[in-house]
Amino acid sequence: MGFSKFLSRCFLAVVPVLFGASQLYAQSEVPILSGGMGILRETDGGATFFQPIITPVLAVPIGDRWLIETRADLRGFYSREDGTSGPYEGQFFSTLEYAQVDYNATSWLTITGGRFLTPFNMYNERLTPIWIQNLQDAPFIYSIGNSGTAANLGGMARGAGTIRPDLNFLYTVYFSAASNVSNFESERQFGGRWGVFLPQKRLEVGASYQRLLQGQHMNSEGAYVSWQPYRAPLDLKAEYAHAPDGQGYWIEAAYRLSQFGGAYSLLGRLAPVVRVEQFFRLQAEPGDGLPGRNAERVDFGLNYYLPHAVRLNASYARQLEHGANMNVWNLGITYRFLFPMPFWPKGGNG
Amino acid sequence: MKLRTNLYALALLLLSCVAAVNSARPQQGKNLKQGAAIKDKEDDAAEGARRFAANCGRCHQAPEDISASEAKAVVRHMRVRAMLTGEDERLILKFIAP
Repeated sequence: MGFSKFLSRCFLAVVPVLFGASQLYAQSEVPILSGGMGILRETDGGATFFQPIITPVLAVPIGDRWLIETRADLRGFYSREDGTSGPYEGQFFSTLEYAQVDYNATSWLTITGGRFLTPFNMYNERLTPIWIQNLQDAPFIYSIGNSGTAANLGGMARGAGTIRPDLNFLYTVYFSAASNVSNFESERQFGGRWGVFLPQKRLEVGASYQRLLQGQHMNSEGAYVSWQPYRAPLDLKAEYAHAPDGQGYWIEAAYRLSQFGGAYSLLGRLAPVVRVEQFFRLQAEPGDGLPGRNAERVDFGLNYYLPHAVRLNASYARQLEHGANMNVWNLGITYRFLFPMPFWPKGGNG
Repeated sequence: MKLRTNLYALALLLLSCVAAVNSARPQQGKNLKQGAAIKDKEDDAAEGARRFAANCGRCHQAPEDISASEAKAVVRHMRVRAMLTGEDERLILKFIAP
């Protein structure tokens, strides 16, 4: 039995035990079922497809320090038989995005085991949920550091601590095993992410490193910045990533028009978004998930935040890639849900 | 005679005042402790609101209608996802589910 099979079987054996143990704490803690659902429509250079999506998140706290958490992605993909003509036909995909056990050892250290999202830069861990991302399409450089399933099977140490009241440090280090076990696919690699966060400015700056220990044995590096100033309803994010195959960056700005009567007024619920990105191909490597040639793109989007965590998205993008320039139109509706786990004993203090 | 009566009355009044003060002290101490606890709780909730705005408010609003027991799961999940410290987790919990 390979090490990856052993790891995935250990994980599958431990989770039910911990889940059972969580019943002991049922009087004070209730697992939650959260996540999002939505319908997305995209037209890429004339080819239209639809994606109904449900991404449930289950979080089960156990005692004061443990947490089991998992997220799945269930989606249909409906497109025309011949791309732009013919009847629509569909496929269904299900992915276990993460299934991990977290142990909060100290205020600044959490130890994680199982299948977890690759902590490279910020997009993969924080911006992939459909109810959070400002634009539906991932940036060009998303595949750098997040190749394959963008998840790892192994262990991770992470946390945040306070250096001064106005300065926090952030860190993540991880190691993962190679695995081709269904739903636990992973590459053998190690890496980490380090950053600082200024809570009084809401400014975060960080850098990532990853070493692939199989196949190409390559290094990937990245850097990111995220800034949400208090003085204006602006959300500014940017990433840079480099790998032997290519390098690039994206910069995204969203501005909620909450000055016009508050965040919940008719106009205040609207948030225009702009993203600019460029990718530079350094060497040809088919199947790496990156554009085949140098590419650049600009997205313009409008997000409208309806009551009860419903959001409407619309965006237009112009993508320039040698010999394959195209317009991309997106339209979608997403809904964020959160409720206690059904059929769970009622909490004592809830 | 009248003076002596007045002195007795005054002494009795003083004694009853001392007794009243003495009996009130533990209650007053208890009230002070309760007041301090409430103030601490309010301070924690205010600090929790500040930390919520600094961390969680970067991406979303506070959840509506969430019970204390559900909030534990939510905040612990977000501690890992959003790189919160243990102290952030404790104070944000005081804010969203006091």
